[in-house]
Order: sequence, then structure tokens, then C-alpha cells
Amino acid sequence: MKIDRRLLTHFDWILLGLVLSISGIGILNLYSSGYNLCSGGDLLYVKQMSWVLLGLIIMVIAFSVDYHILIRHAYLIYAFSVLLLLLVFFYGNLTHGSQRWLIIWGFSFQPSELMKLVIVIVLARYFNDNMEKGYRFGNLLALLTILGIPFLLIVRQPDLGTAMFLVILVFCMVVFVGIGRKFLVCFISGSMILTPLCWFLIKDYQRERILTFLNPERDPLGTGYHIIQSIIAIGSGGIWGKGILKGTQTQLRFLPEQQTDFAFSVFAEEWGFLGVSVLMFIFFALILWGLKIVQNSRDYPGALMAFGVTMFVFWGILINIGMVIGVVPVVGIPLPFFSYGGSSMIVLMAGAGLLMNVSMRRFILQP
Amino acid sequence: MSGKQDRLTGYDPVRFRRKIQVIIWLVSLAFFFLIARLWYLQVVRGDDLRKRSENNRVRIQEIKPLRGLIMDTHGNILVDNQSSFDIFIIPEAAKDTEVVMNKLTNLCDLGEDAISREKTSFKSGRPFVPVRIYKNIDRDKLAVVETNSLDLPGVVVDVVPVREYIYGEVMAHILGYVGNISSSELGRDVYSGYRSNDIVGKYGIEKYLDRYLKGKSGGEQVEVDVAGRRLNVLGGLKPVSGYNVTLNIDAALQKICQDAFQEKAGTATVMDPRTGSVMAMVSRPSFDPNLFNRGISGGKWKKLTTDPLCPLQNRAVSGQYPPGSTYKMIVAAAALEEGLITENTEIFCNGTYQMGDRTFRCWKKRGHGMANLHRAIVESCDVYFYHLGEMLGVDKLAEYAGKFGFGYKAGISLPGEKKGLIPTKEWKLRRYGKPWQKGETTSLSIGQGFTLVTPLQLLRAYCAIANGGVLYKPRLIKRIETTDGQIVEEFPPEKERIVPVSKKNIDILRHALWGVVNEPHGTGWALKRKERDVCGKTGTAQVISMSEDTDDDVDDVQYKFRDHALFVCFAPYKDPAIAIMVIVEHGGHGGSVAAPIARRIVDGYFNLERKREKM
Repeated sequence: MKIDRRLLTHFDWILLGLVLSISGIGILNLYSSGYNLCSGGDLLYVKQMSWVLLGLIIMVIAFSVDYHILIRHAYLIYAFSVLLLLLVFFYGNLTHGSQRWLIIWGFSFQPSELMKLVIVIVLARYFNDNMEKGYRFGNLLALLTILGIPFLLIVRQPDLGTAMFLVILVFCMVVFVGIGRKFLVCFISGSMILTPLCWFLIKDYQRERILTFLNPERDPLGTGYHIIQSIIAIGSGGIWGKGILKGTQTQLRFLPEQQTDFAFSVFAEEWGFLGVSVLMFIFFALILWGLKIVQNSRDYPGALMAFGVTMFVFWGILINIGMVIGVVPVVGIPLPFFSYGGSSMIVLMAGAGLLMNVSMRRFILQP
Repeated sequence: MSGKQDRLTGYDPVRFRRKIQVIIWLVSLAFFFLIARLWYLQVVRGDDLRKRSENNRVRIQEIKPLRGLIMDTHGNILVDNQSSFDIFIIPEAAKDTEVVMNKLTNLCDLGEDAISREKTSFKSGRPFVPVRIYKNIDRDKLAVVETNSLDLPGVVVDVVPVREYIYGEVMAHILGYVGNISSSELGRDVYSGYRSNDIVGKYGIEKYLDRYLKGKSGGEQVEVDVAGRRLNVLGGLKPVSGYNVTLNIDAALQKICQDAFQEKAGTATVMDPRTGSVMAMVSRPSFDPNLFNRGISGGKWKKLTTDPLCPLQNRAVSGQYPPGSTYKMIVAAAALEEGLITENTEIFCNGTYQMGDRTFRCWKKRGHGMANLHRAIVESCDVYFYHLGEMLGVDKLAEYAGKFGFGYKAGISLPGEKKGLIPTKEWKLRRYGKPWQKGETTSLSIGQGFTLVTPLQLLRAYCAIANGGVLYKPRLIKRIETTDGQIVEEFPPEKERIVPVSKKNIDILRHALWGVVNEPHGTGWALKRKERDVCGKTGTAQVISMSEDTDDDVDDVQYKFRDHALFVCFAPYKDPAIAIMVIVEHGGHGGSVAAPIARRIVDGYFNLERKREKM
């Protein structure tokens, strides 16, 4: 493949800068929250650094390959990801009573994370193929199938949070392509039929979580307690924060899951409203930048893909932070680029790569 | 780029620009909302929450629920809950746990035995979570600890319910015992929803019904002071007691069985042939389940697990034995039902039976002479049944054994049930890769050879003969109810099947079993009461095949090679209300060793009934 010089000139340094600053803050935060904690002998922040580096390599791959090629092979990629989910279903590793992990060459990987990105690519392809004909009832069935297969596999793991996340992503893209009102009604009612189905597929503890969210008094000891401790941690940070390594909530381990789901609470405790504002600003800038890429993208599939990835990041932020400040139920959705976790970091880096991909090629006309 | 799928036409950036504008507004709104909430938490409520975090003495204290009670069929409590005073240390409040521990041991001698193994969790655990260091201290020591509490920072005493097994080792195998959930158990799917500090049933009914007995933990959010003492309760959830369980076991009868057994190893199980209810089930030797309540010491545990007599095994459901002559009833039923013999068919027994180049002996060396089926059962003639076995063949025999409930789990509500073994031609080919030998059928026809049964299976089959042909599911649990008496689940008698033997043939068998006990030369003479109402069958199961000429005098043979003594019986003859299965491991002859034990149980049962009627 001939490397076009224009690709280099149009490389999206700003996007790279935003992503790296968030990951950097995330690593610093991990250093603080887990400085006395080792996992298998490795310090978590060191491990996270290696995830970021690996992610950057994936990112380079993701922006080097023209996204049209990805779109062309979207169904293949989709089939591959479903296959991975099936592997998890049969051979997955069991932790905390759920089966989410696949161990490949000693690395554990969560195919459900990958699915979040793949569903964006496959929908970009699907909508692009069908845009001229307009969207009819048949499309609804196809959409529900594309969504339904990974959805059911992930619910069965069980990982309700991630499964609902897929629904949200699909929904956003459906709204974006501008589907007729009738279609929208069908989609929503279809989802509403799926939802009670989930109720029977999920495990007791998840049902309990949903009920707890609807009524926090139900469980002042489990999830409710986590939320309370998280709120105390965030609030006690005040305006200026307690300073790095000084968060008492964190250091005394009142906070649950501080490396992953509640990483933001640790940050908020130690850096205060000031730090939080900076971080939120970077996140906000990232989303706006993503939307700008959508707007400037040269063609329809590019716009769709960029939009999907942007929404992926946006909903991650909204749900995770909403969760730690007690306005969204506790579901295991990590804070993008920030929480500890190899699978999610790599997939998000790949997503950022795709955004760059679309951004770089915005001026290149197709032959 | 071929651009086949990329449709440049129809893409209208302007149309999307408006949509993106809206989305930007929505995204901004969302971010604004998050920031506003963070502002509220960090700036508006900042000081307040900071104070709360500084003396974040808000702890979760779990309140353990009371485990459900277990009662016998008459409502006598078998398992109760007692209070145990346990000492905990909160590492964060104690600062130096070693120093505090030393002070504590100096103040009162708590004994090494009481120290819990959880001491190791000082380092790895969360600093504010109490770690249990002593279990079940007595009241004097409790007073010492309480009066010195100012010198013992971080030391707290808590009342914890523990199980009290009122009948001790008499009920050990039925009730089982409880213990802290292990990490391997926590990982299993069955235990999803359990937490790491939970007490779970490890054995017996405690394990089988753990989900019902366990109850639901409550807890409190409490504010505690620097030393970990509670100041204020912020809110909480009441624990919900576990469900109460009523068994079909009759505690008095169980006691009678235990006493009848004395020090021998084996099992006695009593069933109501009319319903399949298990009225008593004793397995010897036994153990005291109360040992486990307060944490069993390593030495005692090791002694229990390495004892060659396996006191932890419930022989009634997990023990597998050759049934010996007790199995002849199944052979007889099959032969009658298949029309191979009638009750009048006579076979000559000269004491030996030739099958190929092997000679099989009758237990009576001189032989029984000409005998019909009735006499063959009454005097337990082996040769008669060798012939029946040859007529039937192994697979026909296995078919009938299956109908009588052999070869698969009877389905009692206890963990660890075994299914025994009913060999077939196909089984042997699969298992050993060798075809079936005719002589092996000969062994099977007197309950030897490959055949293995559990005492429970045997008892159930005899109940079917006793009640005229109904094979019941063994029923240990009567009902489960909430603490205020609402019924959660009931277990009515459950007929598994009607055995395919005609009423007439069953009556022939029943009458023969009556003869075993009540006729001259009957092998079950030990059960002959003045009411002449007991029916039964003896069995002597060879552990290894003895060489043909040894005179198997019990005392000469090494213990582990001695025969098992079996006896199954039911009474009264007319309308059986009780069926008993006794096995004495390596006891010798069924008629002389197992039957007397059955006798004591039968007598005890009727005395008990008489007493209860008077009252």
C-alpha cells in the first residue's frame, strides 16, 4: 500500500494528546490507590502502563488500515467476535460467579469489551448498505439479530451492564441515521420485550442489584454501602482534594473496586473538585472532538463509525461517573481510558485509532 | 479502493450537521449534570462529607441470622441454637495486634484450643474489619475481658449463635454439621450469593437443606469509636431466621436403634413401609457433631478422617455391601413372576451345586434335601437359588433388581448417596472387556459376586414386599416451615412405582418371610416373639470368597475378612407398620448377630407405641 503523505499531515495529534493525558492521569491515580497493593507480584500501575503501550500499538494498526477495508470485512469481524463470545460461553474462566474471561497465551481477555467496538463497525456497514432503500420492518429484524446474538451471550455470562451498553450503542446509532418514527417505536418495544427476558437469564445477585438501585434501602450493607462509601470519598475531596496518596477512604480500603469501577472516586478524593473539573474538561473535549470528526468525515460509513466510537466513550463516561456518584445503578462499566483493565484499555485505544483513521482520511477522495 | 459498499451518493453532511448540533447540546447537558452533581458533593457538602470520612467509623456489622431448627416427627427439637461469646480484634483500632494479643493471653488463659486459625488474616485483611480470635469463651473470662476493655483497644466481644446438636452422635449422620464456608465452596455455583464469613452445612441435612436453614443475614451500619466500640446505629436490616425443618425421624426410636447397636460397626435403618418415611437411621461408629461448632482442633479432625472405620460415613446411604441371602427374595420374585417356578416347585439340595468346573456349596453342608420355595427361603437354601439363577440369567435378574430399586440412587435427601451395582452382561463387557461367565450368575443368585447394594435400597425393596408391591421414595423430610409456622414445602409420600409382581406372588414371599422367623428351622428365630408377627430374612455377605474347605469360624478370621451380618424384617405380618434393616460389618452370621439387634429395635418400637397409646 502506498503511503499517502497527506495522511501524515492530517494526523490527529489533538486526539492522541487527549487520550494520552487521560490514560496518564489514570496511571497516576492507580499508583496512588494501589501503591500498597500488589496483584501477582506486579504493581497495578505498571501493568496498566504496559496495557497503554500495547493499546498504542493496536491504535497504530487501527489508523493505518483504511477504515473502508474494515467496513468491507465488518461481518467477518463480527462473526469472529461472536465466536470469541461463544468460546467464553464454553471455556471461559469463572470469577466471582460469572464467566467473562478468555485466557489466550496467558493473557486474560474479555471478548465482551471487544464486542462494544465491533457492534459499531458492523452497524456502520449495515446502515451504509441499506441507506438508500430506506428502513423498513425487515431492517428491524436484521438489527435485532445483530444485536441479539452478542446480547444474549453476554447476558448469560452474566454481565448485564455490558449487554445493556450494547443496546444503548445500537440505539444511539439508530437515532443518528434517522430512522422513521414507526421503526423507532418497534425498536423500543422490541427492546422492552427483551428486557423482561433478561430478568430470567441473569443471576440472583444482579436482580438484587437492580432492585437495590430502585430502592437503596433494600441493601444498606452491600451495594448500597459501596455507593455511600463512594459518595463519602468523592465529597470529602472538597475543592482542593486531599492530595495524592492521602485519600483516607482509599487508603483504608473503604472503597470497593478502587482500581476498576470506582477509580474515579479515588481521583475525586485526592484531587478534589479542581482535579475533577480538569479531568471532566478533558473528557468533554474528547467527546466534542469525536463529534467534530463525525461532522468532517468524508463519507457516510466514516461518519457512522466515528459517531459510534464517540458514543462508546461518551456512555462509558456517563455511566461510570453516574454510578460512583449514585445516580446510575452499579454495573461493571469502566471509565474509558482511566480504569484499570487490559481488555477495555486495548479496545478503547483501537477505538481511538478508528477515530484517527476517519479523521486522517477526511480529505482523501476515493478514486 | 473499489468503493463497492461505500455509497458516496446520498451522504449529506449538511443534514448531519444539524443532528450533530443537537447531540452536542445533549452531551453538554450530560456533562453539566455530572459536574453539577460533583459540585454539590464536593463543594456544597464537602465539609460535611470530609468530617464523615475523617472519622469514618461507619462500619457494616453483619448480624447473623439464626439457623432454622430441625425437629423430629413428634416435634422434639434435634438441633437448637446456642449463644457463643467470641472475641474479635479490629486491627486498625488495636494498632499493634501482637501487643494486644499478649495482654489478652496474660489476663486470662484462653487455651490454645480456642484460638481460631483466622489469626493469619491480620495482615491480608482489611484493617477495619474485625477478625475473630477466640471462639466460645466462658462467662468468667468474658467478665475479665469486659472489665479490662480500656486496656485492650480494638478488642470486642460479640455474641454469635452456634448449633447445638442435642442428641450428639446419635443423630450425627442424619443432621450433619456446619462450619465456615471454605474458599473452594465459595467458588462453586451452588454457593453463589454466599459470603466469605458464612456458616454453611457441611454434611447431612444441614448441607442438603442449607438454602432453607441458612436464613438471611441482616446487618447494621454503625458508628464506632476509635477503639471499635459501637456508638450509634445509623440504619440496618433485620436478619431473617432460617426455615424450620421437621423430619420423619422418631428421636426415641433412633435412640433405641443406637442402643441396640452397642459398639459394633454397621447401620440400622427403620422405614414405614406404608409411606416410605425414614423413622430412624443409625450408622456406627459415629461422631459428635458438636465438635465442629466451635472449630474442631486439627488433631481431632485428623483422628476422625483417618479412622479405618470411617465414623464420618453414613453407612445407610453411602455404604455398599453385597446383599447376601437377603437378595434371594428378588430372585424368587423374578422366578415366580417369569413363570419359571411355582410355589410348589421342589429342587433337591445335596449341599453342592456344580456349574462347569466350579463347585458351589450350600451353607448347610449336608444339604436340605427336597425343598420347595417356601422351605428354601425359610431355611435359606443356597442350592435352590443357584438353580433359579441359572434359569433366569443375569440380565433378567438385573431387570427385576432394577424394578425393586437397586442399581440407582434411592433419592433420599442426604448428600453422598451411592447407587450400588447391579451387574449385567453388557456392564461386564464394558467394565472388564470380558464376557459374562455362567458361574458368576450363580454367585449373584445368592447376593454375592459383583452385586452391591446400599442398606437403604435393600430396606426400600423389602418395604415394597411388606406393603404388597409399592416402591416408595425414601422420605426423610416431613416439611419445611417458616418460624411462624407457615408451610414452605411439604413432602407427602411418593410412590415411585408398583413392582411388577402379582399380589399372589407377593403373598407367597411374605408368607415365606414370616416362616423365616416363626417356623422351625427358620434362620430368623431370634425375632420370634409371643405375638408371632415379625417377618424377616437373614443374610451373611462374604467379603472375600473363602476357600472351600475352611470352616469359617468367626473368631479365627481376621476382622476385615469376616462376613457382614445382615437382617431385614418387617412387622406386624398383617399390616406392616415398621421395616428394619440391620447390617453389622464383619459381624459374622446374619441370624446370630444382626437379628438380635433387629429384635431389640422391634421390641423397643412396640413398647414405644404402647406407651404412646396410653398417653
